[in-house]
Amino acid sequence: MGKPKLILLVDDDRDFLEQNRGVLAASGYRVSCFSNPQEALQAAEREPPDLVVSDLMMKALDSGFTLAREVKSRWPRVPVILVTAAASQRGFDFSPRGSEDLAAMNADAFFDKPVAPDQLIAKVRDLLA
Amino acid sequence: MNEEPVRILVVDDEKGVREGCRKILSVEGYQVTIAEDGQAGWEAFQAAGGGFAVLLVDLMMPRMTGLELMKLVREADTDVLPIIITAHATIDTAVEGTKQGAYSYIPKPFTPDELLLAIKNGLERRALTIEARRLREERESRLLEVAAERSKSNTIIKCITDGILVINTEKLIVLRNPNAARILSDTQQVPFPLEALSCAEVKGLIAEVLDGDGGPTILSREVSLAQATYMVNVSRVVEPGAEASGAVAVFRDITVLKKLETAKSMFVSMVAHEVKNPLAAAEGWLNLILSGLSKQDPQEEKRMIGRSLLRIRTLRTLVTELLNITAIQTGNFTLRRSPVEVGRLAAEAAEACRDKAQEKSISLSFTAAASPEARALADRDALLMIFSNLIDNAIKYTPDGGHVGVHVSNDGMYVKVSVKDDGIGMEPADRERLFDEFFRAKNDYTANVPGTGLGLSLVKRLTEMHQGRVSVESSPGAGSEFAVQLPVC
Repeated sequence: MGKPKLILLVDDDRDFLEQNRGVLAASGYRVSCFSNPQEALQAAEREPPDLVVSDLMMKALDSGFTLAREVKSRWPRVPVILVTAAASQRGFDFSPRGSEDLAAMNADAFFDKPVAPDQLIAKVRDLLA
Repeated sequence: MNEEPVRILVVDDEKGVREGCRKILSVEGYQVTIAEDGQAGWEAFQAAGGGFAVLLVDLMMPRMTGLELMKLVREADTDVLPIIITAHATIDTAVEGTKQGAYSYIPKPFTPDELLLAIKNGLERRALTIEARRLREERESRLLEVAAERSKSNTIIKCITDGILVINTEKLIVLRNPNAARILSDTQQVPFPLEALSCAEVKGLIAEVLDGDGGPTILSREVSLAQATYMVNVSRVVEPGAEASGAVAVFRDITVLKKLETAKSMFVSMVAHEVKNPLAAAEGWLNLILSGLSKQDPQEEKRMIGRSLLRIRTLRTLVTELLNITAIQTGNFTLRRSPVEVGRLAAEAAEACRDKAQEKSISLSFTAAASPEARALADRDALLMIFSNLIDNAIKYTPDGGHVGVHVSNDGMYVKVSVKDDGIGMEPADRERLFDEFFRAKNDYTANVPGTGLGLSLVKRLTEMHQGRVSVESSPGAGSEFAVQLPVC
């Protein structure tokens, strides 16, 4: 048993940060919270995370996608989970239909907000296994 | 057919002739006037006020000859048909007489039948002439009407805001109004082949209608031309009982409608996001409690419920805002007015926003000049909505660490609440549309600020319902100051 795995949690909504931190911390993960994707990336440079959970629509519309792309380009093996309250925006339906859609989003999983705690934990465990 | 008796003027210096004529003609139902020479004839004509159908006139008479009288009478009334009765029935006089407009002549002596026949023929001829003239006049006036109608239609087609193209079956563009030329940026001289039209999409649409076989065809399509969007309607021109004679294309500018459509759909997704986010957050907290993650710690559970409640309240405000704007738009919003201490209410609104300001390390100050207790006859909730919106906006559009100041003043007529920030400010173009529904200024900063684009429109409408006014001063980077003035009661 080494150090607990590190998860970066990125969301501009404080409530979601706290909720998901609670869920993940209760399962024994180390969790770092960021309300800004830029700061999350800087932190990741200092200590690469084992997994990233990010909101999709953080202020700037595509910031979740941008973050996922950045993470995958620097740490291709780090899983990314995208979460959003707006599955469709401006006529575009973001919810992925299959693994190809997920790959196009640079994501390994996609959830509609709010994510049930057990679902999130199950997915995180699965991706980190 | 004609009730009026036909009137005949008989002028002859031979009494026997003129009395004889009168007798013969009167029996036939003509109304006869007689005169003994040219001069008397002219006087009789004038005395009767004209209206004679036939002038039966001798040529050689004292004082005024028959030809002279004919000339005078014809000048006064071209419809009078002159018939010459003369003893000097030579070719020369007859020719001279007809040159002067005589219809025919009767050589003396003549029988009653000869006279009646000449009169009858003359009257028929006269009737034909009059009818022909009437027809001619009618036709001319109709032609004039048609010409006027055509130029009217041309003017209408020229001035109509829609672009119009008319294409014949040979695929020649035979009519193009100035707006069509502008829309298609086309300068070719009409007529020109459809093939030479610059826009392929329009060309295809027209060809499709022209080539379609049988029955009237209408095609409608949205076409983008030079940054504008047009609804192009092409319909076949079918004249009753004839083959299709071409097509007409109408270009209607729907750019504004399209923009509105986009704004509305953006608004709907914005609202969906704004509604779903707090709902999801509240649901998330409740999920946590249910999943046992709170470890049944009453303090922790209370905190989580408190947090959900906060989000639910925000949601309720949003829904209220939406309902209010709809009610105002449909005229179903009524104010419940009572004297309200405007300054106190503004302070209350500022207090309610203090947490939000602190979150962004924005200093929020409240100041009041003399007599802050000035009252306005107002709906308390509406006023609170106005102030909260303005203060909330100021916080939203001011970067972290900035300043927002709420100031109340009173000039005896109006109580003024101003909200001043040192935030991002706005471009003059954005300032103009600021109070439009769903309008949101678009720049890098506002892209990061959530909002429905309803707040300021609500502020303006509510203020105006209170006989007040909203003003704004702002420039990019120099902050904004919104002021609401309400009449003091």
